[in-house]
Amino acid sequence: MNIILVLIPLSLILLAAGIWAFFWGVNHAQFDDLDTPALIPLADDPPPIAARNEDDAAP
Amino acid sequence: MRSGRRIRQRPDPGGYDVSRTCFHCGETIAKDVALSACVNGGEQPVCCIGCQAAAEWIGTLGLGDYYRLRNTTAERAVEAADYSAWDRPQLQRLYVRNAADGSAEVCVLVEGLRCAACSWLIDRALRDLPGVRTVEVNPGARRVRIVWARSDIALSEILHRLAQLGYVPHPRNAQALDALDQREARAALKRLVVAGLGMMQAMMYAVTLYAGAFEGIDPATRDFFRWIGLLVTTPVVVYAAQPFFIGAWRELRTRALGMDTTIALAIALIYLASLYETVVGGAQVYFDSASMFVFLLLGGRYLEMRARRRAADVVDALARLQPVLAQRRRADGALETIGVHELEAGDIVIVAEGAAMPADGMLLGMACEVDESLLTGESVPRARYRGEALIAGSVVRSGPVEMRVAHIGADTVLSSIVRLIERAQIQRPHAAVLGDRFAARFVAGVLVLTALTAAAWLYVDPSRAFAASLAVLVVACPCAFALSVPVAYLRAASALARIGVLMPKAEALEKLTRIDRVVFDKTGTLTRDRLELVGVEIAGKRSVNECLRIAAALEYGNAHPFAAAIREAVPGERSILKAEALRTFAGAGIEGRIAGHRYRIGRADFALALSGGTTDDDNVIVLADEHGALAHLRVRETLREEAATAIVALRAQGLAVAMLSGDSDARALAIAVRLNITDFRSRAKPEAKLRALEQWRRLGSVVAMVGDGVNDAPVLAGADVAIALGGGTQLAQSSADLVLASDRLDAIPAARELALTTLRVLRQNLYWAVAYNFASIPLAAFGLVPPWLAAIGMSVSSLFVVLNSLRIAPPHISTEQVSATATVAAEAVPA
Repeated sequence: MNIILVLIPLSLILLAAGIWAFFWGVNHAQFDDLDTPALIPLADDPPPIAARNEDDAAP
Repeated sequence: MRSGRRIRQRPDPGGYDVSRTCFHCGETIAKDVALSACVNGGEQPVCCIGCQAAAEWIGTLGLGDYYRLRNTTAERAVEAADYSAWDRPQLQRLYVRNAADGSAEVCVLVEGLRCAACSWLIDRALRDLPGVRTVEVNPGARRVRIVWARSDIALSEILHRLAQLGYVPHPRNAQALDALDQREARAALKRLVVAGLGMMQAMMYAVTLYAGAFEGIDPATRDFFRWIGLLVTTPVVVYAAQPFFIGAWRELRTRALGMDTTIALAIALIYLASLYETVVGGAQVYFDSASMFVFLLLGGRYLEMRARRRAADVVDALARLQPVLAQRRRADGALETIGVHELEAGDIVIVAEGAAMPADGMLLGMACEVDESLLTGESVPRARYRGEALIAGSVVRSGPVEMRVAHIGADTVLSSIVRLIERAQIQRPHAAVLGDRFAARFVAGVLVLTALTAAAWLYVDPSRAFAASLAVLVVACPCAFALSVPVAYLRAASALARIGVLMPKAEALEKLTRIDRVVFDKTGTLTRDRLELVGVEIAGKRSVNECLRIAAALEYGNAHPFAAAIREAVPGERSILKAEALRTFAGAGIEGRIAGHRYRIGRADFALALSGGTTDDDNVIVLADEHGALAHLRVRETLREEAATAIVALRAQGLAVAMLSGDSDARALAIAVRLNITDFRSRAKPEAKLRALEQWRRLGSVVAMVGDGVNDAPVLAGADVAIALGGGTQLAQSSADLVLASDRLDAIPAARELALTTLRVLRQNLYWAVAYNFASIPLAAFGLVPPWLAAIGMSVSSLFVVLNSLRIAPPHISTEQVSATATVAAEAVPA
């Protein structure tokens, strides 16, 4: 049973590391927007603005 | 120097007397300051005018006890911050809206505003200022709406007063809001995760302890697990549960009991009792209950915050639309970049493609395409032509655009929409106010009940006294009750905004569910204010196309609706012939010469005067030459595309539909037939319309009137529920209960459905909360509910309320409802 004297502190250290990592993520804006980043790869690149201007030939 | 009795003469090198500290903020008082505040009947030294005012003001409110109760000194009253900049018209233009009666309105974001007690304090403080007319505090959105008389008080004084209380005011500014929201959201997420992980660990160790209790455990191992439990629970209580303790402290400070008091008391009791048991090696620890309690409550709060933010999202999205900088063309033709707030009406600005309009204005170029989707919900870019209005916040799709500024800052359509939504959020519905009052009384009752339970159990069985009273305290927390109304209303307001319906008055939702009759105004409501060409009957030898081209040539440049309808029917300007010697006969028609022939277009008697003969149809215009009629052009009013479906949907909901029109019998009848409305009145002046509404109401009907926000305002005021159409600058002034910003009639049945859902959800929430509290308290008092079960019960009831409210979703409006009539019209006119 004495093994728990090692394992439990170890688990607490891992817990602390996990919380530290999570806090780091939160502070670095990883959790601010959970919806948009998933869609970014799906969106087409917008055409360069210069090319569009020529097409429209504004008066 | 005053108050020498308290001074141990020991001046420090900086010239300050360290022993003399400010009664309010605790800072040292400069030597040359001899201010004092009269609090609780005694003179107290203060460091500055700001602290003097704050202290005296709190004293006069009878809240002087605050100084005895507090354990940290207040924020130094912000005398230093200078709000006079807010009196500059250049700045006010962005944030302040002026009304005709000399009053002005501003929406202020308030830092540190967290609870009902704060809002009460702010409300009391500002209302006492002379010249302040209305103060509406929304703790949910941390915003305060203030209406004041410009002649009596300056905005800076009001902001100053807020600052004196220790709340930092930020006149509404989308960027400041963002940062604050972000900080709040991040902190909440961290706390939630800490509580969750802590709870898992604590429960794991608790399982060991429970198992040990049954199977037998060596006391040393048991104590080891208890100490570990204490270790993981401490951050949960000390860090994650902070909001509850802070909230409880605020409630105590202002003597307004609320939920946070019971929650904080319960957490502290559970934790301290377990701590004690751990130290002395007692019978039972409750670390698992404590951390689970905190976690579930934080979960509920987190969901509530998400719902709240989602509701606020609409407003923020709108507010963020307005750009900060603009390109102004100077008198010498050069461009300069200036802040949007420096713009003046009449300035000429250039807006690049992809950029947003900085102000409302008029297009100077030939044409452009703009995306007004956030205002109208219409994602297809709209074409705008020279002289037409452009709306601030709309995005230029083809540009660059040159425009003349007409309205700026708070006078723009965008700003008035934002303000409408905010007003709807700030105004708390009656039910919510009642709910709060009930909650406060309820908490007091719960505390008494807890004490009674403890006393009774101490008499019967002291060993169970603690568990039972704890269970009562936890189980009876009226969180679910307090949450039910605001969450449901916030959800409803944001869902409505998504379908383009703004709710300036919070009671509108309740009233909307009770209506049994919807009355439409005809012109501008069921119909658009333009005509459409529905048929061309050939009377001479010319083809339809030829006739149309002649007609269009004659009507070229004419502003009459007839002319517009005909021009619209002819595709492209290239096919329009050149007409000469155009003469307009008012009220009759137009005469002109094309390729040597004289033509007339207009009323039958006028057009046929060239050849003799007549017809008498009101909706027919005749094109004729010297020999006789060439064609009969039939026009009619354009129905709104979605009018028919909206009316069908309203009927399907069991509502009677009626129409009031000031127009002629024939026109009203034509529209009524097309929309299948049997109950209509024509030739009705506003007074007649009002009388009709009154008649319906006398017969027991609850009437909703749909009309043009501006023209029909007086009639709208006579209805139980006034629904105004249209975005426009007058939007904010309209007295409507609901505003259809999307200009779509089918939003009405959708909104009503939403209102019904909201009320149903609200009722469920309230029933649930009341039933839960009344069922669980006796059980807990008799010791039948262990504290951990009480924690689950209470959190589940709150979660139930929040999740149930999330069911209020924006109803789906189909966008493919191009009415059959429009198709017919398109076919009738060969291109």
